[in-house]
Amino acid sequence: MTGVAPPQNEPSLSSSIAVSMKGVEKWYGKFRALNGIDLEVRRGEKIVVCGPSGSGKSTLIRCINRLEPHDEGSIIVNGIELDGSPTTTQDVRIEVGMVFQQFNLFPHLTIMENCTLAPRLARGATVEAAERLARRFLDRVQIGDQAHKYPSQLSGGQQQRVAIARALCMEPRIMLFDEPTSSLDPEMIKEVLQVMEDLTDDGLTMICVTHEMGFARRVANRCIFMDKGEIVEAGPADSFFEAPRSERLKTFLSQVLH
Amino acid sequence: MNALVIDFALVWESLPAMLNGLWTTMLVTIIVLVLGLIFCIPLTLARMSSNRVFALPAAFFVMFFRGAPLLILLYLVYYGFGQIEALRDGPLWFIFGSAFACAVIGLTLNHLAFMVDVVRGSLEAVPAGLSEASNSLGIAPRDTFRYIQLPLAMRYGIKAYQNEVVMLTKGTAVISVITIIDLTAVANEVFERTYDPFTPMLTVAAFYWVLVNVMRLGFRRLESHLNRHHAAEDARRNEKPVKTIGSLLFHPSSWLKAKRSMLVARKEHAL
Repeated sequence: MTGVAPPQNEPSLSSSIAVSMKGVEKWYGKFRALNGIDLEVRRGEKIVVCGPSGSGKSTLIRCINRLEPHDEGSIIVNGIELDGSPTTTQDVRIEVGMVFQQFNLFPHLTIMENCTLAPRLARGATVEAAERLARRFLDRVQIGDQAHKYPSQLSGGQQQRVAIARALCMEPRIMLFDEPTSSLDPEMIKEVLQVMEDLTDDGLTMICVTHEMGFARRVANRCIFMDKGEIVEAGPADSFFEAPRSERLKTFLSQVLH
Repeated sequence: MNALVIDFALVWESLPAMLNGLWTTMLVTIIVLVLGLIFCIPLTLARMSSNRVFALPAAFFVMFFRGAPLLILLYLVYYGFGQIEALRDGPLWFIFGSAFACAVIGLTLNHLAFMVDVVRGSLEAVPAGLSEASNSLGIAPRDTFRYIQLPLAMRYGIKAYQNEVVMLTKGTAVISVITIIDLTAVANEVFERTYDPFTPMLTVAAFYWVLVNVMRLGFRRLESHLNRHHAAEDARRNEKPVKTIGSLLFHPSSWLKAKRSMLVARKEHAL
């Protein structure tokens, strides 16, 4: 496992486990998307999930905030078990931010409104408080001067940075990234990865589905390789890339690293 | 008969009656539109519900009233219900005994049946990813519907809705068969009195045309307001070398081009 010390200032009551999955299964009709997933993610840990397409990586992280309901097993996020009731789902979603491959900014709202909507509706923040918060995170992703624009007026990289700021405005403890750079032009990938790397100092728990192997090496405490709905191999980034144990990961790496 | 098809003296003489008829037509149209807007959302949600207790009756409603001919529907509501004694002696007779109320009921049922699919199509056109993003931010499903899905669906559906409104406006002409003096009924009266078909019919046609086009302009303003988030993008896309008015007027092909690029812009709006 990782050699990283758990973050400080941990409340003594809550455990040091951010996400715990036990025997999680997910079926789409007769297709088994997740097959007996056991995974524990500690507070502040940065995890990169990779694997061939259709291997269940996206399904895995979408189960964590219940965008996909799981069929078997248990998922506990920040001490809350996802049992399907609307209130627990809501509680978990407030604690977990998510960034999507397609940005999914609300096209009819300005950048500022995109960022303030959730704090106002889900946390009951006032407009002023929500805008102060949004301003802070938009500055942090270096997009503060575009706050009055609409998403369609920004480049892909800028939109994705706004999406990150929008998720951060809910001040989540856990961030999920679902292939955040996969639909970006090459020159924009770097600016988004840079923003994501900056977040790692915050003690956020990050779970990131990505094929950016350089990013994985620099940031990840642990890399997870999935294939056919199973976690095939997990380990610290260095040994994961330099000395893969399983044949499937060796094949995958030889196809990805070129 | 003079050389002109239209007898302007007759137009002038029948103008007060026509304005009254126009008022009735507009009143019916507006009431039906308001009722349609109020009821179409709950009915559409019932139609889209995964619970069959809601979905099946709503689906049956749409199937029945979309298929039912409007004229027959009006006859049934106005003359048919009057035959039912319990209804005639009941407390609701002030509704079913009034031709105006019956017209509103018949038209609303028909209008709603068409609206359900307009609204449903628009709601389904909202990308699932946007609802997911909203859900993942911890925004409750009710708020996601109100702040994300509904506002976007309005933008996608406004063209189809505009069609529906125009069809309804012109379709209100059928209520003249259940004794309501709307615009069409006034024209018919004038015709029967004077045996001049052209003057009254062409005059009311002009009234309908103006009414529909005023609506069109209203929709255009509403649409450009709703699509203001595209405005800056369009300005960039449509940047073109400046043309003099002369070159625009004297080369009809440039009209076509301008129109085509407007159409393309429209289509992109809809997406």
